[in-house]
Amino acid sequence: MLENAMSEEASKAVHSIRQADIVVGIPSYNNVRTIRHVVQAVHAGLVKYFPQFTSVVINSDGGSRDGTREAVLTTRIEDTHLLLLSTPLLPVHRLSVPYDGIPGKGSAFRLVFEAAETLRARACAVVDSDLRSITPEWIELLLRPILHAGYDFVAPYYHRHKYDGTITNSIVYPLTRALYGLQVRQPIGGDFGISPRLVSRYLARKDWETDVARYGIDIWMSTIAMAEGYRVCQSFLGAKLHDAKDPGADLSAMLLQVIGSVFALMQEYEPIWWNRTGSEPVDLFGFRFDVGLDPIKVDIDRMLKPFCRGCQELGEIWALALQPETHAAIVQLGQTAQGRPDQFHLVDDLWVQIIYDFACAYKKRPLERSHILRSLTPLYLARVASFVIETRELFSLTFEDKIEQLCLRYETLKPNLLSGWAGGEKKVPQFERRSEASKLTTVEAPGAELRMEKQHPAATERS
Amino acid sequence: MIDTLRRVLQDTLERLSDQLIMYLPGFLAGVTILFVAYWIARATRWLLNRIFKGIAFDRFLRQSGISGLLNYSGRFRATRLVADTAYWGILLLGLLTGFSAFNTQITSRIIESVILLLPRMVIAALIILAGTWLGQFLGRSTLVWAVNEGIPSPRRWAAAVRVILVFIAVVVAADQLNFAKNVFLAAFILLMGGVVLAVSLALGLGSREIVRHYFQEASRSSEDSLERSLRDHL
Repeated sequence: MLENAMSEEASKAVHSIRQADIVVGIPSYNNVRTIRHVVQAVHAGLVKYFPQFTSVVINSDGGSRDGTREAVLTTRIEDTHLLLLSTPLLPVHRLSVPYDGIPGKGSAFRLVFEAAETLRARACAVVDSDLRSITPEWIELLLRPILHAGYDFVAPYYHRHKYDGTITNSIVYPLTRALYGLQVRQPIGGDFGISPRLVSRYLARKDWETDVARYGIDIWMSTIAMAEGYRVCQSFLGAKLHDAKDPGADLSAMLLQVIGSVFALMQEYEPIWWNRTGSEPVDLFGFRFDVGLDPIKVDIDRMLKPFCRGCQELGEIWALALQPETHAAIVQLGQTAQGRPDQFHLVDDLWVQIIYDFACAYKKRPLERSHILRSLTPLYLARVASFVIETRELFSLTFEDKIEQLCLRYETLKPNLLSGWAGGEKKVPQFERRSEASKLTTVEAPGAELRMEKQHPAATERS
Repeated sequence: MIDTLRRVLQDTLERLSDQLIMYLPGFLAGVTILFVAYWIARATRWLLNRIFKGIAFDRFLRQSGISGLLNYSGRFRATRLVADTAYWGILLLGLLTGFSAFNTQITSRIIESVILLLPRMVIAALIILAGTWLGQFLGRSTLVWAVNEGIPSPRRWAAAVRVILVFIAVVVAADQLNFAKNVFLAAFILLMGGVVLAVSLALGLGSREIVRHYFQEASRSSEDSLERSLRDHL
């Protein structure tokens, strides 16, 4: 295992600064189009809101070949007089260094955290390099709760288009909320504030060279903070507009890394989430306001096709990963998707059960884990398609109510997860679906009965 | 004439009784050894079943993912496999020991050749097992990948990967056993040549439109960054 992510160049650069109060990290890989704006915003935020602190902006780069690193070092703040009323007392250092290790956002963050620890920083923040909507205020909102209110972890809270952040909305947010009992709305937002003690905790962990090194880093950071009882809050940052992701990026690889990290952490923190029921709100800082957002074009057919194909071809894998009743309901849904796509509807309960079944399959490994996780892609696309059909006419506020309903279903159906996870008798799920006349009908599996919530074995032993 | 016939019969009976006297103890010893080996094999199978059930060997294999890789349905019973292997192994050993009780040239040769072949057979079996394992794993990977990427006939691709890998394992195993290795090698070369030719023809002639469409889609999505799909949004 690699001992650290700090390359020799990075180590020299960091040690030359010796000490800093604030470290802001910007991971990058070929982001020359947007990184200038991000660096300007971060720099302006530091000199405007924290002029009394020594700060370092570290660009942790994955080997960009488009001049990203040069752009970071040469960017200047324009119209300083419009931004600053006072002259900064202490300097803002700027570094652009390559990281060592598995290429990915996680390895980039590791270098930033190592630098923050080396420099004995009092607060650390990380922001994405593809942001188009970042402002200097983001830096204040991410750092002030750490520096002045004793929080350990500041998660972002964005205003996003209803079709943006679909993995967050349909899986990550509701699942982590149901598990750890905290309503952190954007657990994989990508822009965070972190206290020094949490930075040390992250660095002390040994799983840096797993999916954490890639897309899994965000949920890993949020989950550790929530599960290990660190003080968590959120800051409202406004709209999140970012550059379109690499079109070649493989959706199933993203799902594999993000959901794989969620499930892996579920195993580790089982004794913590086992007995938690319901959820509670988390402190939210910042002034909430509505903004215009980029429209997102959605092609429903393009999402339903993989689902239909999955129903035809992935039966053998789904049959091993899912409960028979869940699998039967999906097969039935596949027929609807082929025959009447406009009527397609994947109900909340079925979706929640699918995710819980996949989590249990990940734990029990009836087949290779990467196969389990990658086979979730067509189901995820089906869920998104259904959600788009369902919320086409809804405004953002009403749409948030839909998310809230889904979260409550995750919380209500958590006993199903517990029984499946423990490997005992399974509760036979019931799934509601819309009939042609949009009435609610119930697809009831034979022998359905309610079961008592089981105590976690570890909890029983302790008690 | 009658005397001659009597003498011939007497000689035959004497030869038979001599042979019986010579081979009967060996035969009886062989049967006894086989009988004892049979009961030892049964006892071992029973014991192994009990031990492995006690230590939840199947569950361990299932949780470690090995079970799912070895068996298509993922419901592989390793306990039974190990117990049955031990059972048949002991029976084979008993049979060979029983044969050796005859102490003849033929039985010695048979035993010698079996003993010489045994390590190779074990290696060949391991090669086939590894090939099946790899075929299963890569076949499933191909299936999921092909479905997610929208490649036509994913199950056929997966089956092709499985068949090719198992066939490679069989060719290597046959080579190890020195069993019709030229036949297998020739068949393998023919098969691979056929597959390559078929793929080339399919891509060149039959699937031109599909390939063109695929590349058009790929280039369209990379060029048109404004038309952002939900795939871009975590």
